[in-house]
Amino acid sequence: MRDNFPFFAANHTTIYLDSAATSQTLNSVVDDTRDFLIHRRANAHRSGHSMGTWINNEYHRAKEYIGAWLNIDQPEKRIIFNSGTTQGLHDAAMMIQQIMSPGGVVFIGRDSHHSLILPFTQSGNAKWRIVYIDLDSAGRIDLTDLQQKIAIQPLGLPKVIAVTAVSNVLGVVNDIKGINKIAHDVGAVSILDASQIIGKGSIDISGWDFVAWSWHKLYGPMGLGCLVIDPVWLNFDPTRPGGGSVTHVGLDSAVYLTDASRFESGTQNLAGIAALPNLVSWLSQHQTAIEFHDVAMAQLAYGCVNKNKFVPVSEPDSGLISLKPRVGAAEDYAMFLDARNVMVRTGKLCAEPLVTALGTDGLIRISWAAYTTAAEIEQTFNHLEDIYDRISRLAQ
Amino acid sequence: MIEFQDLHSDLFLLDDPLDKYEWIMEYGAVAKTVPPPVQLLPKNLVEGCTSNLWLEQRTNKYYCYADSLIVQGIASMICDYYNQASVEKRREFSLSTLTAIGLAPLLSMGRQNGVANLIKKIKSYE
Repeated sequence: MRDNFPFFAANHTTIYLDSAATSQTLNSVVDDTRDFLIHRRANAHRSGHSMGTWINNEYHRAKEYIGAWLNIDQPEKRIIFNSGTTQGLHDAAMMIQQIMSPGGVVFIGRDSHHSLILPFTQSGNAKWRIVYIDLDSAGRIDLTDLQQKIAIQPLGLPKVIAVTAVSNVLGVVNDIKGINKIAHDVGAVSILDASQIIGKGSIDISGWDFVAWSWHKLYGPMGLGCLVIDPVWLNFDPTRPGGGSVTHVGLDSAVYLTDASRFESGTQNLAGIAALPNLVSWLSQHQTAIEFHDVAMAQLAYGCVNKNKFVPVSEPDSGLISLKPRVGAAEDYAMFLDARNVMVRTGKLCAEPLVTALGTDGLIRISWAAYTTAAEIEQTFNHLEDIYDRISRLAQ
Repeated sequence: MIEFQDLHSDLFLLDDPLDKYEWIMEYGAVAKTVPPPVQLLPKNLVEGCTSNLWLEQRTNKYYCYADSLIVQGIASMICDYYNQASVEKRREFSLSTLTAIGLAPLLSMGRQNGVANLIKKIKSYE
């Protein structure tokens, strides 16, 4: 599978283990993007010439492929292209703000990424209160805690349940089916941050009001994401009105499109969108192999940890391991690894409330993907042990 | 008046980045005294560092304390330079000074922001 990623042919000695942040690019994505930029660059939904028509067709084809892959009916109505998960979750919050009556409650998982927390805490909206859902001892969103916290709210309050499918710190896969059932039972609007699971594990995203992810985490273009919505949200005004989202504009009025394009004003990342049909085909074809590979790498990585030196705070559920070093700061390990040409992520991992709750200022996160080899994992852990010994000597 | 690279000349004799990091960490380890020479209060925190760094000014001297040995090392190198530099040299010093003497490649983007904020905080006391 590694041969499908040109980065490694060009960078033989680099060990790239920051795939939970950004994966390397599939060769078809490189080729399709390049083809678009060199031969086909034109805008969609505007120009009637043959180049405009070509990218228009590719845009629709991309949504059809995604719909077929993830079982999304009416993809034209339900899939919104945007710049990524952050924008998708922000747009979801802004849509909800349109209907939320004062006193509403937003339940957010304590394992959430900043992208899921900030649209609600920093929107300046006085309509809603935030209630955080606790995690159980394994780091999963505690459904009992969610139910209890819902039960103590006054009856009739509007509710939103916003969760992440897989924590980018803990690596655990949440019971999203169970959470979605609770949301339906209590009539809550449901939001799913699926950025760490789409393309990496089997997932059923039906029944959610909003599902967001980014393509740069699954071998695709940067600056491109999807927000899948329940069609009922098409009745609401665009969060970012502008060109490409309307059928008619008067001096003081506008008629918006009736499909998901009403939420896609402005020019999209069409070079990226043009690469999606082949990327989705590849992901669909290799999904099982990718899942097996992730599990094998997880078993290997967790087996490599010397627990006298590093404390794993994550679970071997997905494609990452987060470590708390027993000596020294995570930052120091990252710098030494970088000098060995090993790329890992350290710090608060854009999940500061969770990382702080874990009793640390920073973690070392090693995250792999379809192209990662066992030798790379083993070599990285050997380096980590060596760095630990160096830091221990200096810290004495 | 001694320049930054002269004050820390041993570092610039090293070629291997690993050796350079180890040198900086050793510098940090020596400088990281117990108890910390600064009060670990929010007002002394340097914003934007990838790990915690505190800075305090007392009698025109700068003192720092960091969780990370590398951050401690870099911050201590800068504080030590300021503590012996003239007013003019202090005014001239910036992130560009570190770039000009080839230290910038050792600083990741996140740490470059942290160092820039450290220098900014120092200059706010000047």
